[in-house]
Amino acid sequence: MTVLLNAVRPTRRRTAWLSVNLALVIFVVLYGVIAILQPNYLDAALFMNFLRRAAPLIILACGQLFVILSGGFDLSMGAVVTLVVLAASMLIGGDPDMTWTVIAILYAMGLAVGLANGLIVSFLKVPSIIATLGTMLLVNGLALAWSGGAPRGDLPDNFRNLGRLVLKDVPLVGSLPIAVVILVVVTLLAWWGLHATAYGKRLLAVGDNPRAAELAGVPVKPTRISAFVVSALSAVTAGILIGGFSGVSVNAGRGLELQAIAACVIGGAQLLGGRGTIVGALFGALSLFALFTLLNLLGLPQALRDSLQGLILIAAVGVTVLRYRRST
Amino acid sequence: MSVNATPVAMTRRGFRDVPVPVVVIALAALIYVTAAIVTGQANQISAAGLTGLLQRTVALGLVGLGQTFAILVGSIDLSVAALISTVAVLASYLMQGDPSMIVPAIAACVALSLGVGAINGVLVAYWGINPLIATLSTGLILQGLLSASFTFLSGSVAPSFQALAYQNLLGVPLPVLLLAVFALAAWFVLAKTRFGAHLYAAGGNPDGAKLAGLRVQRLVLGAHVIASFAACVAGLYLAARLQSGTPWIGRDGIYDLESIAIVVIGGTLLSGGKGGVLGTIAGVLLFASLDASFNMFGVDAFLKQVLRGAIVIAAVSVYAVRNRGHVA
Amino acid sequence: MSPVLEMRSISKAFTAVKALDQVDFDCRAGEVHVICGENGAGKSTLMKVLGGSYRPDEGEIRLDGAPVRFQHPREARAAGISIVHQELSLLPFRSVAENIFTGMEPTRWGLLDRRQMDERARALLQRLGSSIPTGAQVADLSIAEQQLVEIAKAMLLDAKVLVMDEPTAALDDRDAHALLRLISRMKAEGVAIIYISHRMPEVMAIADRITVLKDGRLVWTRDRQDATVNAIVTAMVGRELQDFYPARAATEPGQSVLQIRGAGNRHLRDIDMVARAGEIVGIAGLEDSGKGALAQALFGDQPFTQGEVEIGGKPVVLHSPRQAIAAGVGYLPGDRKREGIVPRQSVRDNALLTLQAMAAVLSLPNAGVRSVAEADRNLRTMDVRAGDFGQEIATLSGGNQQKAIIARWLMQNPDLFVFVEPTRGIDVAAKAAIYETMRALANEGRAIVMISSDLPEIVGVSDRILVMHQGRIAGELPGGAEEGAVMQLALGVTGNAAEREMV
Repeated sequence: MTVLLNAVRPTRRRTAWLSVNLALVIFVVLYGVIAILQPNYLDAALFMNFLRRAAPLIILACGQLFVILSGGFDLSMGAVVTLVVLAASMLIGGDPDMTWTVIAILYAMGLAVGLANGLIVSFLKVPSIIATLGTMLLVNGLALAWSGGAPRGDLPDNFRNLGRLVLKDVPLVGSLPIAVVILVVVTLLAWWGLHATAYGKRLLAVGDNPRAAELAGVPVKPTRISAFVVSALSAVTAGILIGGFSGVSVNAGRGLELQAIAACVIGGAQLLGGRGTIVGALFGALSLFALFTLLNLLGLPQALRDSLQGLILIAAVGVTVLRYRRST
Repeated sequence: MSVNATPVAMTRRGFRDVPVPVVVIALAALIYVTAAIVTGQANQISAAGLTGLLQRTVALGLVGLGQTFAILVGSIDLSVAALISTVAVLASYLMQGDPSMIVPAIAACVALSLGVGAINGVLVAYWGINPLIATLSTGLILQGLLSASFTFLSGSVAPSFQALAYQNLLGVPLPVLLLAVFALAAWFVLAKTRFGAHLYAAGGNPDGAKLAGLRVQRLVLGAHVIASFAACVAGLYLAARLQSGTPWIGRDGIYDLESIAIVVIGGTLLSGGKGGVLGTIAGVLLFASLDASFNMFGVDAFLKQVLRGAIVIAAVSVYAVRNRGHVA
Repeated sequence: MSPVLEMRSISKAFTAVKALDQVDFDCRAGEVHVICGENGAGKSTLMKVLGGSYRPDEGEIRLDGAPVRFQHPREARAAGISIVHQELSLLPFRSVAENIFTGMEPTRWGLLDRRQMDERARALLQRLGSSIPTGAQVADLSIAEQQLVEIAKAMLLDAKVLVMDEPTAALDDRDAHALLRLISRMKAEGVAIIYISHRMPEVMAIADRITVLKDGRLVWTRDRQDATVNAIVTAMVGRELQDFYPARAATEPGQSVLQIRGAGNRHLRDIDMVARAGEIVGIAGLEDSGKGALAQALFGDQPFTQGEVEIGGKPVVLHSPRQAIAAGVGYLPGDRKREGIVPRQSVRDNALLTLQAMAAVLSLPNAGVRSVAEADRNLRTMDVRAGDFGQEIATLSGGNQQKAIIARWLMQNPDLFVFVEPTRGIDVAAKAAIYETMRALANEGRAIVMISSDLPEIVGVSDRILVMHQGRIAGELPGGAEEGAVMQLALGVTGNAAEREMV
């Protein structure tokens, strides 16, 4: 299937910065509005709390960005989050000693899903949007079948602390949630992988023009598969945090994959590959989360989130296409 | 300077000359009969059993017929699931059990779906937005508005409307006849009219079609309107069948992904320009017999979802794997 | 007699490149007007303007004296302009009849009249001297048969102006003759025929008038009597031809770098060849002679399935581009846009790509400052003109992009360079620079294999010329050989065909 967007015409490097700044500006404006409605959001502690709640989305966006840069989509992220939350509760069964073993198992599961996605796309040549929709069904079904549709078991405190514990009296910042520490580590890792290694350059090349990348010696399939693995592993990480502060639910991950994509798009990433930054994804996710928070404060129904994301996607892609049209 | 001939076309001989739909229907029959015999439910191979089987094909079959148009013209429609939910909910909300509202409710649903189809078509054909993203987004917007407006079951369809889904004509359930009529109409349009020929042209070689004087954009728009209309009919049928619509009826039925899968299984090329209605009907029969077989074997509902995901991926990859280029 | 078609001062620019610059052209009823020109001279662009695919930036088109402005190909078609396109516009999975009637399907009571389609399609094809079954699926036809379907499609309309863009390129002798006869018949019927070709015998046989385009400009239009083959070729090629190519190597070539024995695959048979340090080996041949397949096999893209390959005296297995790179092969792909550049990355990143592709996965992208400096140096050596090497490569001209890709390979320092169509679609100045680079690379002791469809280039640049025909190496010629001699080998030197093709 040809899912190629019109080859989008180059604009200077400036635009990449412009989009990052745009996401940053959007975030600052939205957070400003929130602060006007709820002045205590300006407290360091509440800002930390905001970051803590936004952490899973940011981590998901960073993972999704790898796949988007490689030219694809990962729609199975939300299902992986659900699987992680349900699997954690059942495997741990309330036993704190099991926590670390189970976390290792969860990452192994993520690895398996990511590999499956990557192999299906690279070798069976199924377009990723269809392949990962398929694995989404598959993983969701597995999670539900395993838990029988009604989650049993509890998450012990040492597991939940990853998502909800807040360290008090930390120098400089005052309070510091563990989730924010994890967030910083993950973001730095993602930034390093994407912007400071040969791997990141390969990924961009693969998403930009896979055939040219192949003829320049880039191992296209391994590169593409690894992007799906990174994405799935980030979903596991986000799932652990979500299990931590929201507890166990069969709907834990629903819709998160699209939020992650929307966050990347707000952050200036180009769908179908070739352009995008971690900083952009970070602020894109923060903007989106600030928007959700604002909607809550204004008392608008949660369900409108979906509609907003749809509008954002169309607008983002539409703008790219328009820019391309104007320049030819 | 050559028309891309797929390896299939060049190497086909003997067994491969059998048209895809025939193979698929034979496979469907084999699966159904085997399952019936193995599980000792030979009574399923009877007029009543087969009627039940056909009944299962109606909703997916209708959506699939519409999806066939979208795919043939080189596009795709991921918004059908949300549209089905919207139509089903809207129909029951407007009717509120009142028979006099049947016609206005249907008219409203049709108008809505034509509007959605037109929006999809404009986004894809005139704005040049990638069809996967465009229709995913319109689906999201619809779904969001829908779930924001109707959080609980509101109203039900008129009893006489509901009866339509359960009546028989000459021993055949009315819905099965409905599907047959629509399939016939779709076949007629594609095989016997200039519009149909132009759809194939626009999908098979858009540049060539344009050079031959066809207005490709309008054709794509038309195909999207048809796809949405078919989803509307499916939504109305489901509302009648279930007495009232729920905001999740389309998503839970995975009509987006499965309609694509049955079209592709039936031999329609995901890139457009080749295929047809007969293949789609064969595809839906295959899915229905698989579904029936799962039931005969007593497969758990969640596990069924897992199998469905796997089958969709397998089905698309059967056709995609021969693709020589890179797919993202 | 006043012309049916007049095109006045037509200009059309694409981003930086002026594809057409103030071109005048006309065509009278009942004449064949041939347009000649090299690749990229603007022939096809001019016809796309005429056919309504492109809108001209400037200029005017008159049909029967009345000005026309086509917004869409359908308007040009309706006005009586019918075009046989160079890139096929067919539908691979539809029947021959359906293809011929695309957009013009006859109906009966609102339904497709398939019987009429079949009958008229058969009649049309018969006029072309062909008996292709009208129900056959186009994808199952040979290229030549597809070309005939394309011609039949254009003839369906009673065209005032019929444009044929290299219609005989894929046809064998018999089909080509049938087509030429048909053209004379249509000419007699009063159709204005525009014919694009660079096969000189054909041009001289059918032309009433000849127009030569070069680099988007009109060189001249003359009656056939006033034009000679020599004059046409000189006008097409321009004056700079002589000093265009760098001097050949002064010294004898050294050790053999590449040695192939008895190699083959699906497209290639019995390939035996050597390329030595310091020489440029040109590979010539027609479109599907296997020269492209040979390039792909050398780079492991479509590997050899039999035979032996040695590079630098060591046997190597070339099953993927990565293996080829590791074995010391560099590769400049023929289709720069689709296979060469990664458009949205910077010039510098494009130059660094292979280095990064072959580096350890998690190593720093630019391996620190050193390789960035090296990339910049190579880009400067190649004289890549960019405001800033950090700018996206897609903003550069084709020639500069090509130089940047060569710079990419300089980073690898390969022993063997495979250049595929190195100067296709780039301007003259960049061409000369690329030839000089190739020569310089050879002089530094590398072996260069150049695959090209451009005969003057093959003859002017190569030290030795291998000519391919039907998947084999048909023969070897020294550098500077006559173009005609190359062509004879390329055609398999069989009687009529060779004569028809000969310049």
